[in-house]
Amino acid sequence: MYRAEKLSKMFPDGLVAVDGIDLAIKKGEQVTFIGPSGAGKTTLFRMLNLTIPSTSGRLFLDGLEVPGLSGPRLKEARRRIGTIYQQQNLVPRLKVVHNVLAGRLGLWSTGAALFSLVRPAEVERAYGALQRVGIPEKLFARTDELSGGQQQRVAIARVLVQDPEVILADEPVSSVDPTLATSLVRLLKEISTESGKTLLMNLHSVELALSFFQRIIGLRDGKILFDSATAEITEEHLRELYTGWSPEGDAPLDRNGHTTPLSCRPLPRAL
Amino acid sequence: MATPPPSPAVPFRGPSRSLPIFLFVVLVLAAFVASVKTAQVDFFVLVEAESRRNLFRFLFGMFPPDLSLDFLRLMLPPVLETIQISIMGTTIAILVGLPLGLLATSSLTWGGVLHEMGTMGQRSRRLLRVLPYAFARGLLSVFRAIPEFVWALIFVRAVGLGPFPGVLAIGVAYGGILGKVYSEILESVDPKPLEALQATGASKLQIVLYGLLPQAFPDFVSYSLYRWECAIRASAILGFVGAGGIGQQLELSMRMFNFHEVTTLIGLLALLVAAADLLSARIRKGIL
Repeated sequence: MYRAEKLSKMFPDGLVAVDGIDLAIKKGEQVTFIGPSGAGKTTLFRMLNLTIPSTSGRLFLDGLEVPGLSGPRLKEARRRIGTIYQQQNLVPRLKVVHNVLAGRLGLWSTGAALFSLVRPAEVERAYGALQRVGIPEKLFARTDELSGGQQQRVAIARVLVQDPEVILADEPVSSVDPTLATSLVRLLKEISTESGKTLLMNLHSVELALSFFQRIIGLRDGKILFDSATAEITEEHLRELYTGWSPEGDAPLDRNGHTTPLSCRPLPRAL
Repeated sequence: MATPPPSPAVPFRGPSRSLPIFLFVVLVLAAFVASVKTAQVDFFVLVEAESRRNLFRFLFGMFPPDLSLDFLRLMLPPVLETIQISIMGTTIAILVGLPLGLLATSSLTWGGVLHEMGTMGQRSRRLLRVLPYAFARGLLSVFRAIPEFVWALIFVRAVGLGPFPGVLAIGVAYGGILGKVYSEILESVDPKPLEALQATGASKLQIVLYGLLPQAFPDFVSYSLYRWECAIRASAILGFVGAGGIGQQLELSMRMFNFHEVTTLIGLLALLVAAADLLSARIRKGIL
């Protein structure tokens, strides 16, 4: 489904967020990405869902070379990828039904999209998707009246009506409580399994990653530290991923200007 | 190894920082003094015998207001006309401002989250995108730079006396203001939902419909309503150049030294503005 060769992203401020990643993901595969914050997971996902371009290297989506895409062909490619974000990626003032049906936009004409804002089209489809995620009664509620967990369900329903070939979930459960987190990850996995969709998920929680996925990729400092079957992951792997050999000293700042906790401090670039 | 020279003491940074401030203060003072001279500010003129007499004649002449039924009945059509001018003018202003405002939004026409992919490479393409943006910005600032009063003078020449030139003047001048404010509102909208919409394969226009406008809607309505309130007030001034409404009556009464009527008209205008304010508040509450 995906093939990346020496894929890199350098931001205009000089930060190398993703640094020469080689990756191959098969159709229908379920893979999780773990690693300390600032490791480049989100940047990698934004490249994989064709939101931002890479600065070097090559990326193929199902054999299609991504950097060459533009206009309608880029839109068509994006339509094949459904993304679930950490939070705040729904339009708060719209009714749930419109946020769910936004997943159809890639298939609708602009006129049909406008008309649907007045009289929602394909309501049964939206209702079905909400039923699948367990909140059908919220169909006509305003999105900003929903709780964080419910909004995340709406985001999953949006992906359901989009019916993509790949589901990218970028830390989908970081802002919900642990019980709900487990059920949402399970739900996404079920959806992927029953319709053969490829599922890539960034996870903060190693526990969830280990218990739900067969293949785990560890990212640190924009590089792949390990890429192996879950069964082969050892304590050693995880310790290296999250602690590294960072010597005592001032904790480095991540991109948001926060100090990274000691336990997941990235490797100094100089080493 | 030679010992390094002793590091210089931390330089006293006071003067270097306060010099620009000092110059700035001098400039401001100079500008103030010059303004007093050239703007002919002389408060004593106000209390000189003759101006005092004129002022009092005007002030006392204004009371009591003319509340005769005949006059009020006569003023009903101009009041309605003022309301109609302000509504039509604001409507045209929104119709002018919205498309221009969308074009003048930099995150929409070029650059920004929505474009990082498209703006790669090709300088010529990027230039092509900047063109409509620059055009819209330019047009908006021309509309805005010329006051509605001057627009009214121009339109009175073009289409003759009456409410229509007033409508056009408000439509164009306020269209410029609304377009500018709309584009600023659009640029401050949370980009994350937009990115999500783009990732589903939505077209730019669809992103505008499903992401930008819904998020900007309350601010759009709020500011447009405020502009409507301003339009009611403005229509009073526009009447002075023959663009109908209360303003025209106000000018007539003033020229005839019927100060009683002036009071009534000013009172009516104040009532209109207050009513518009009340109504706007209601609408705002309803949509939030």
